[in-house]
Parts: sequence; structure tokens; C-alpha cells
Amino acid sequence: MEKASHLSVIVDLSPTQWHLSAQTSNQHPLSVETFLSQLLAFLNAHIASKHENSLVVFGALPGKSVMLYSPTELLSDDVPSLDANSYLPFKLVDSTVVQRIMNEFDAIGELKEEPPCALVGAVTKALCYINRITHPSSTTAGVAEDPSVIHDPRILILSVSPDLSSSYIPIMNAIFSAQKLKVTIDVCKVYGPDTVFLQQAAHLTNGSYIYLERRDALLQYLIMSFLSPTPIRKILAVPKQDKIDFRAACFCHKNIVDIGFVCSVCLSIFCQPLPVCSTCRTKFPINTLKRLNAARPTITPANSRIGLPLANLNNTASPRPTPTPPNGMSSLR
Amino acid sequence: MAPKNRDDNFMDVDSDSDISLLGDIDHRGKGKAKGKATDKRKKEKGKAKAKEQAYTWEASYTRSWDTVQEDEAGSLQGAVEDLMARGRRRRLLAPAAAIRRTIIRHLVLLLDLSAAMMDRDMRPTRFDLMLQYAREFVVEWFDQNPLGQIGVVGMRAGIGERIGEMSGNPQDVLKCLSDRTRLEPTGEPSLQNAIEMARSSMSHLPTHSSREILIIFGSLTTCDPGNIHDTLDACVKNKIRISVVALAAEMKITRDLCDKTGGQFGVAMNEGHFKDILFELVPPPAQRAVARAGGPGTNPAADLMMMGFPTRLPDSSPPSLCACHSDMKSEGFLCPRCMAKVCDVPTDCDICGLMIVSSPHLARSYHHLFPVKPYEAVTELREGGSEPVAACHACARIFSTSASTAAASEGISPWGRYRCPDCRNDFCTECDVFVHDVIHCCPGCGK
Repeated sequence: MEKASHLSVIVDLSPTQWHLSAQTSNQHPLSVETFLSQLLAFLNAHIASKHENSLVVFGALPGKSVMLYSPTELLSDDVPSLDANSYLPFKLVDSTVVQRIMNEFDAIGELKEEPPCALVGAVTKALCYINRITHPSSTTAGVAEDPSVIHDPRILILSVSPDLSSSYIPIMNAIFSAQKLKVTIDVCKVYGPDTVFLQQAAHLTNGSYIYLERRDALLQYLIMSFLSPTPIRKILAVPKQDKIDFRAACFCHKNIVDIGFVCSVCLSIFCQPLPVCSTCRTKFPINTLKRLNAARPTITPANSRIGLPLANLNNTASPRPTPTPPNGMSSLR
Repeated sequence: MAPKNRDDNFMDVDSDSDISLLGDIDHRGKGKAKGKATDKRKKEKGKAKAKEQAYTWEASYTRSWDTVQEDEAGSLQGAVEDLMARGRRRRLLAPAAAIRRTIIRHLVLLLDLSAAMMDRDMRPTRFDLMLQYAREFVVEWFDQNPLGQIGVVGMRAGIGERIGEMSGNPQDVLKCLSDRTRLEPTGEPSLQNAIEMARSSMSHLPTHSSREILIIFGSLTTCDPGNIHDTLDACVKNKIRISVVALAAEMKITRDLCDKTGGQFGVAMNEGHFKDILFELVPPPAQRAVARAGGPGTNPAADLMMMGFPTRLPDSSPPSLCACHSDMKSEGFLCPRCMAKVCDVPTDCDICGLMIVSSPHLARSYHHLFPVKPYEAVTELREGGSEPVAACHACARIFSTSASTAAASEGISPWGRYRCPDCRNDFCTECDVFVHDVIHCCPGCGK
């Protein structure tokens, strides 16, 4: 017997990115209208799969995040009329989502510089909502609690914007709380460059990350990969991203590092040993700097087989015969 | 303990009249037990009026059943909310500013395996409960401190026994705690032997990591071969922080161990309290201000560590032997320095000794360094004439429009609203607890 599943959809509504996506210079242009029509078909499919399935839609706009649709609260002003040709729950979802998105886009108005999309706020709100429905406590007045118990909540993020470096820590916090709540995070990259943070989010929560090659076939990707709830995914395999880059970027140059030097106080990562940590202003002992400078590999991995393992075994400050001059020594002040 | 029968002869203690209480003694007159009970009840009433008491302990005796009040409908909702609010108040006392904490931790868990642990005052026995909570503690500890290591030492039959080596893998630590028959308690505990064993196993560690000993002590005696104060001085010199969770009673030596080394001391009153004070030691400790001996501004606890970030081999890669177990496996992580394959991170590479971590492990500790500001309780519904929002900003739960009639104590909002000082959005009680305990990120600020 299948159990009810909950889906929280987070739609990235950055106007700049959508404008760029609709340009005909792209290989497969996708405009917001086409995207929304396909997304609504997917939302209807989720509701139709099982009567107890629940759905919440959030929108991430520049500078703020809003709830676009929720089964319990009435967010839109005009209630759709009963029509013999349409199924009321579908019509409710469609009209509420579209109406709210139109209102929000109108409310943005003219901005000189677009603030970054509040994706983190939307993810946090989705987690708060999931926390509310999976742990129903004694209620305050007015809210009817969902009687069916949610077993596998999912979050689907439809992203078009690139990574925001300032949102690294909040996204990691959101990932860890999703792990605690047993929430699966799926990511569909509709437009824009690959986002490393969302790749890690999908990987750490056993979700799937899809980068769309054919944007005009969005609905096919959505239904194939993201419609099935977690128990079904054991049987119906969904495509996942395997090559996840877990390496970190150094704080000084934003280069990806293989071996980094980490300050023990503030955990900031550097690509070379510094005498003072730039984040927390902690001074490091001179001995450590000498030792690390000697042990740091300064030659490329192709030549490293010769000299590398011997010197690093005892980590002493003795100079190591290297083909290239030890330029690391000059940085020691 | 005072019996709680409810026949008519029993007077409700809240009543103010003294006369009928004295009359009750004549009515029952059954035996010394009842008489004593009434005497005690009279004396407890006397305590409320600050008259003389027969026993000193009655001054601090709290009758916990009185705090649970049923409302008119007979539900305990108010009591539950009150308990949650008390938890909030406790958290408000925690520092909200980002303080310096030692993230790399090494902890030795000292378990009392003496005969006193078979006492049944905590169900089923102190020993079983301690094992169960120790396992949960280890899981939670590694969740919050992925870069730490735990070792386990037992105090049994007058000596210290090494139960588990210092390891960074939670499964290894749980494995040595899982076999109950190997840990059967006997004999007398010896604090000095166990602490010496723990201290020597941590002596080779670098100074920038915090060295901690957590003692779960259930006995009231210790039999030591030498002077335990020498051991204590040695621990202070080695900068080891000792914390004690006592199950029986407070002993001066355990209190001294904690105070001199800067650890935390607690005596468990019941099972729930035992778990609470044990789990208080999960977050990283604040770094103490150490007297700087060498050079101005050099913090001996801060150091630069070389860490490697591995590349992950997916399941589809060709199988090869791993360096740690010599298992033939496909998936694994490659050490960036020597290209050896290890099974799991975080770990020290078996070939070249480099500490291998993946960036989520470092990120797990960031929330200690950048905590969320506590929310203020909203006491005034209409401030500045603006209409208050009807629903919680995070989960869209509708707020109640009527103020709760429960006593508005400090830190609790009668409207059930809590406001973030930065983004000025209102949140409900559940989201407040969830944001501060689990997510560590305010939905309104997005930080």
C-alpha cells in the first residue's frame, strides 16, 4: 500500500535569468510562459497520482521568497468558478500559482540592480513547512491538520541562476537539516551554469540532480525523474549525478584546492600557509608555517612520484630536493 | 513519601484553615505513618508561610506534580506549552554572539563499570541506561563534530580498562559499546587509574585540538593508588578539560576535577535530566582565555592544519583495493597527495597521513561560529499602528488572534509570535525552535 507523499516545489523566478533563457540565441530557448505551462502539468500529475498527496509551491524572487500555493491557506483573491470541463483541484493550483506569480512580477517594478534570488529563504521556508506537517503538535486555533502521516517529503528546486557564494553556509545548514528530517532534495537545472552547491545538496540527501540539455522537453524530464516518490525510486531508477566535486574553494583566491590549509579556529581554507588568518585574525606559530611550507607539494603531480612520498612521511623542516625553486619559502615573513 | 489518598478526612493542602487540619489527626489516628504524613503536610504549609520547618531539605523540595495544571477542558496543552517555553528561556541564556570554539575535538569517555552501577534507581539499571545514552551521545556527537575522535575507557575492579581506541569513525565506537556482556560491572571504580589512562592516550595530540574527558560516575567512592590531586595537576598542565555527570551524588573530588580544569559538572536527578546534561556536552566548548606566555597575540590553541579534499570515485569506476581494509571496491575517495583509495571520509590517509575531509564536514561546524540571533517574544500586538501579519512567515501557520491566558512569563509571547531582530518577521513557536535548533538559518534574513 503506498503512502502519501509530499512535494515542495521551489521555483527560481529571477527575471534577468528568465529573460536570458528566452533569447532565441540559445540552442533551445525557454520562456517563462512555456515553462509555467509545463510545470503546471507536472504539478497536476503529482496531485493526480494519489489523493492524499500534498503539494506546496514556493517562489524565489530577487530579494524575497513567497509561498505561491498551499493546500490549507487561500492565497489568491479570486476563487475559480466551477466548470464542468475542469477538475477543481487542478484548476485551483493552476490559477493560484499563475495569479500569484503575475502579482509578484508586477510588484517587482523597475530595479536598477537586481538583488540576488532568495533561494536560501525559500528552501528554509520549505523545511519549516515540512517540519510543521511531519510533527503535528497540539494546534492553535484555526488550522486543520493533515490526517495522513507524511513519510517521505521531497523538495524539488527548479533553478536558473548561478551559485551565490554568500549562500554557501545557509545552503549547507539547510542540507544538514534536510538530512535530519529525511527530506530528499531534487534539483532540475533549467538554465544557467552548473551549481555546485545544489549538486552537493542532491547528492547528500539521495536526490537527483539533472542538468537539462533539451529545455523544450522539460515536462518529460520532470515526470520521468521527479514524479516518483522515494519508495518507488528503489525500483524505478532516477538519473543521478555521480561526479560531485567535493573539493573546497580557498578563501583568498576562490580557486579550487586539493590540499588546503585550514585555520583551526574559524575553519577558513587557504591555498598556501599564511602567518595570519584573514577571517579571524589569529596568528599562527612560526614552527607550523615552516613545517607546512616544507611539506607543501610545490610541483605538479606528474613529477611528484619521485620526491613526494619520502619527504611527507616525517614532515620535518628539512629542505626537500625539488626541481622547481621553493617559492613558498619567500612568503614566510 | 506522603500518601495521596483522597478520602474526605484529608484536607486539601491549599486551604488556609489550620483548625480542620489539627482535627484530622484525631479522625484518622491510624498509626505513626499517617500522623507523620500529616505533620509533614502541616509543615509544608508552614513552609509556604515561612514558619519553622522540621527538615532542612523541605526548603528546596519542589512538588513537581503541582506544576502540571489541567485547564477547564481537561487537557494538558497549557502544561506542554509551558515546558516548551522553559526550554526557550534556557536557550535565551546561551550566548547569542559568535564565540570562539574549538572545532577539532578529542574526547575520552570514561564509563563507571563498578558494582554501584547495577543499582535500580534508574530504570532498568543505571548501567543499561548509561550504555543506551552513551550510544545516543556518540551518534549525536559525531553528527555535530565530524572532525572529532572518541575513545572509551572503563573503570572496573580498581583499574582502568581500555574499551575502545581513539577513533573518528562512529561505527567503531558504537561497536565497542554494543557488547553488553563484555562490559559487565564489577568491583570498585578507580578515578585516578582511569584518568591516567585517558591522559596518556591524549598526550601526543596537537595543542590546537581540545582534549576532553567525560566521566559518567555512579559510585560514591574511588580507590586510588596514589594522590589524585597529582593527577589533577597533571591534567591541568596538559590542558585537559574534565566534565563529570554524576548519577549518585556530588563528591568533592569530582567537583574539583571539573572546576580546576574548566569542565561542567552535573548530578542527574532523573533519567530525562541525565540525558539533558549529557547532551549539553555535545556542542564544542568555548575556548578559554589562556594566559599568553609566549609573545603577544599568539594564541597557542590556534594552528594551521593541512587538510586534503578528496575526489570521489563513483560506483561506475573500475574496482580496486582500498588502502584501509584491502577490500576490493569500486567506490571510494582518492587522497589528493598520494592517490591512495580510502573508503570513507573524514579519516587520516593510511599511506601518507594527510587528514582527508570533504567540505560538508567542515561546513557542519560553521553554525557554531555564525549562530542565529534569538528571536524576541512579541508582547505588544500592535506596534506603531501597523497591522500584524496573520500567518507565520516561515510555515504560514495562522496565528491565534486571542492572547493566551497562561501567565506571560519572561521570554514567552502571549500571542505565540516571535520576531527576528534583523528582518522583523514574525514566526510561530515551532518554527522558532526549529530555526534555532536544527536549521541555524533565519528564513527571513536568508543568512
